[in-house]
Amino acid sequence: MVAQQVTLKNKLGLHARPAAHFVRLAAQFESNVFLIKDDVRINAKSIMGVMMLAAEHGATLTIECEGEDEQELLAKLVQLVEDKFYEE
Amino acid sequence: MERLQVGAFYQDMQQRLELELLGSPQGLSRFITEKNLHRPGLALAGFIELFTFDRVQVLGNTEIRYLKSLDSGAIIQSLQRMFSFEIPCLIISGTGDIPPELPSVADEKGIALFQTKLSTTELTQLLTNYLDDKFAPSTVVHGSLVDVYGTGLLFTGRSAIGKSEIALDLVERGHRLVSDDVVTLTKKTEGVLIGSGSKMLKHFMEIRGVGIMDVRQMFGVRAIRLQKRVETEVELVEWDKAQEYERLGLEEQYKDYLGVKVPHIRLPIYPGKNITVISETIALNFHLKVYGFHPARDFNQALKETLLNKTRVKSYLEGDYE
Repeated sequence: MVAQQVTLKNKLGLHARPAAHFVRLAAQFESNVFLIKDDVRINAKSIMGVMMLAAEHGATLTIECEGEDEQELLAKLVQLVEDKFYEE
Repeated sequence: MERLQVGAFYQDMQQRLELELLGSPQGLSRFITEKNLHRPGLALAGFIELFTFDRVQVLGNTEIRYLKSLDSGAIIQSLQRMFSFEIPCLIISGTGDIPPELPSVADEKGIALFQTKLSTTELTQLLTNYLDDKFAPSTVVHGSLVDVYGTGLLFTGRSAIGKSEIALDLVERGHRLVSDDVVTLTKKTEGVLIGSGSKMLKHFMEIRGVGIMDVRQMFGVRAIRLQKRVETEVELVEWDKAQEYERLGLEEQYKDYLGVKVPHIRLPIYPGKNITVISETIALNFHLKVYGFHPARDFNQALKETLLNKTRVKSYLEGDYE
């Protein structure tokens, strides 16, 4: 298992569109992905779960990947967050 | 339809328009190629530039009164000039007497001449409806059209993907089949696409491995309908991991049929997935959107507000060391 902390830099945080980007990317990989915010841990392949976190601008999340392609997936997800979900 | 034989038109509309054929039937072999009508007042009076002769010509009170005001020689001259054009047919509205020269010149030129008791306004309305319908652009698609809770769902996708089975399952649950396998789409008015079945196929359908069945016989008349507005296309595709599918429904996808934008949903299917229930959900969701509810948008709006509020509170409290 690999994990990394990220901070949301896009203006609105994880609303529907960024959440959809996140989930779509995660769904392309075999590994299981979890998002942890405060003490809530959700399956990041579920879009409703990701949106339920209501992670706002500046919030800190932990991305956890577990599986054969965990390294690549984690790198890509972190990159997506860094790229502000292609929003700005 | 590109052209309509006058004889076929007469057969279709004889009763509805109370048409009476004056003179010989030889003009019935001509063709109507235009959905518009024309009142040929100016052509009768001699102005034949820009005369839209290829339309059905309607002679109302004004035209007849004008002809009657002329002497016999002038009537014949006027009619011969006008009838030298390839006119599809002539319809006289109203019950008034007509000059006897009219049927004889029409016969001579081989143009069918009808008379109706209807007023010009009534005739124009009914005739326009009929011709609009006949000349409406149409196309045929491979798919099944089902009325699900009043929403016309057009199922498309490659052969043998299960369109008929889904249609059958929906019928079993009380929805209504319009057509299976072949659907004729007709653009009735701007933005309205009507789907219907073929006269030949009626409500027969083929179920692979079983054969042909008759939905009307099997489920009764409640299970069928003849036509339905196409409101959403559901394209069935095999689930492919590498493909991306809609997750939010925030943006509508459309597909163009005859210039009508039809909402388009790509629905991945795999064994064990209940497409029937999903189809019902699609139909109901369509209704909600018609009534102004958009679940994806509403949800996202609420989420965005929450997120903004959090950020606002956070930045307010930042550096607040009171």
